[in-house]
Amino acid sequence: MTGAPMLEVDGIDVFYGDVQVLYGLSLEVREGEIVTLLGSNGAGKTTTLRAISGLRPPRKGEIRFRGRSLASLPAARRAELGIALVPEGRELWPQLTVRENLDLGAYHPRVRANAARNLETVLAMFPRLRERSSQVAGSLSGGEQQMCAIARALMSEPTFLMLDEPSLGLAPVLVEQVMRTVAELHASGITVLLVEQNLRKALEVAQRGTVIETGRVRLEGTSAELSRNPEIRAAYLGI
Amino acid sequence: MDRFVDLAVSAVLLAGLYATMAYGLGLIYGVLRVVNLAHGGVIMAGAYLGWILHGWAGLDPYLSIPLVVGATFLLGMAMYRVLVRHLPRGPAGGPASLLLLFGVWLVLRNVAYLLFTGNDQVIRTSYSTHALPLLGSFVSVNRLAVLAIAVVTPALLHLVLRRTYLGRAIRAVAQNADSCTLVGIDVERIYTLTFGIGTALAGLAGLLSATIFSFNPGFGSGELLKSFVVVVLGGLGSVFGTGVAALILAIVEVFAILVMPSYLTAAVGFVMLVLVLVLRPGGLFGQRVLG
Repeated sequence: MTGAPMLEVDGIDVFYGDVQVLYGLSLEVREGEIVTLLGSNGAGKTTTLRAISGLRPPRKGEIRFRGRSLASLPAARRAELGIALVPEGRELWPQLTVRENLDLGAYHPRVRANAARNLETVLAMFPRLRERSSQVAGSLSGGEQQMCAIARALMSEPTFLMLDEPSLGLAPVLVEQVMRTVAELHASGITVLLVEQNLRKALEVAQRGTVIETGRVRLEGTSAELSRNPEIRAAYLGI
Repeated sequence: MDRFVDLAVSAVLLAGLYATMAYGLGLIYGVLRVVNLAHGGVIMAGAYLGWILHGWAGLDPYLSIPLVVGATFLLGMAMYRVLVRHLPRGPAGGPASLLLLFGVWLVLRNVAYLLFTGNDQVIRTSYSTHALPLLGSFVSVNRLAVLAIAVVTPALLHLVLRRTYLGRAIRAVAQNADSCTLVGIDVERIYTLTFGIGTALAGLAGLLSATIFSFNPGFGSGELLKSFVVVVLGGLGSVFGTGVAALILAIVEVFAILVMPSYLTAAVGFVMLVLVLVLRPGGLFGQRVLG
């Protein structure tokens, strides 16, 4: 079920000012896969996603999407290619309504004409958002905000979806729900790169995982391999 | 009683003008977090543009609105692309952009002195002295026209901000620029357009002022300060808040004439500014940004 490489991250160095966060990091996600990026706080997971989305371009190395280098493509043009990011902490526009947040998700020219249809699709997926559609996004609960952030990303018809800690700060029942949603999106044909603190859950839904540590790849493998790995079990699963 | 009606009417008329100029300042600050100190210079430039078009081309100031708005819109976009874009933003970038834009104002003002000397000018039209009876007093036709435009302009702006993709993008950029980039909004383009729109509002306010007041190259400094008062009072939340704040400032200023010598009334706005900053630093209507 997996095909050609969709995303190739090839030896990237990423800096915040003078501080280097990623050191020659490489990563591959194949078409149709669901891959999880693991690591402790500060390992560089969020930075990796920001580099792919173009918000924090690498100083060295290359990122390719479907074989094409993204180096010269501004961040704002990447949504058009089908790349979407659900950022850590949701990052909604708190004083716009849920409806406005979603509408803006379909901003780029390729999908704007489909905005109404896409809105129906995401509202059917998250009925809660329909009830809340005229409320400002800042007034939603944490779980609803996460749904809204995922729905906003889906409005752009992504083929490659990155989610940055979607379960952060959610009650266990909502974590289950978010993870189920991620699995459903993957089943619907979207390739997924998932960053998750909840390693057990992440390895449940993902096919493969990459563990990074202080900006470098530490371990790679299928979910089954990683779950068996004694180091991982000791460090992250507490077994 | 007649006096009261007179003053109330002139307060309402003045408020429209204040709201127009303040909205330009507030919009730029709300979206870019840059205090546009060149605002006063653009108000002055708008007045002179109208004056030139009227004096040299015989164009009625109301017909020259599209030209003046268009020219100051382009001026604002150019100011952003050439200068403001390169400066750091937010709290850290405050002093840099303040100094730069203050410099732009000085340049505009001195160019005006060079071209037009320091003499006071007015735009006098055939209807400048016409007045209509209203609520038992007489109101200048011109002032009514200024008020009408000052009401229609923010209403249009409100519609654009609420109903169009561009307007929603402007509000979204004010609240979270990175998320805008992620959905494909070119944030730099939005900044450029916003600076253009804010500057065009200053140009329009200058043109409208020039049909009422005399002006010289120093014109605009009092207007800038009044814009500050209105923005601080009304917050950055909405067109409505700006309108109410402009009305409050105009009423207080106009009615101050009843209790103090007229040369002191200009200070009333600053006293209000200080009071609001001390008592309600978020403005009278809270701290929402273009909600």
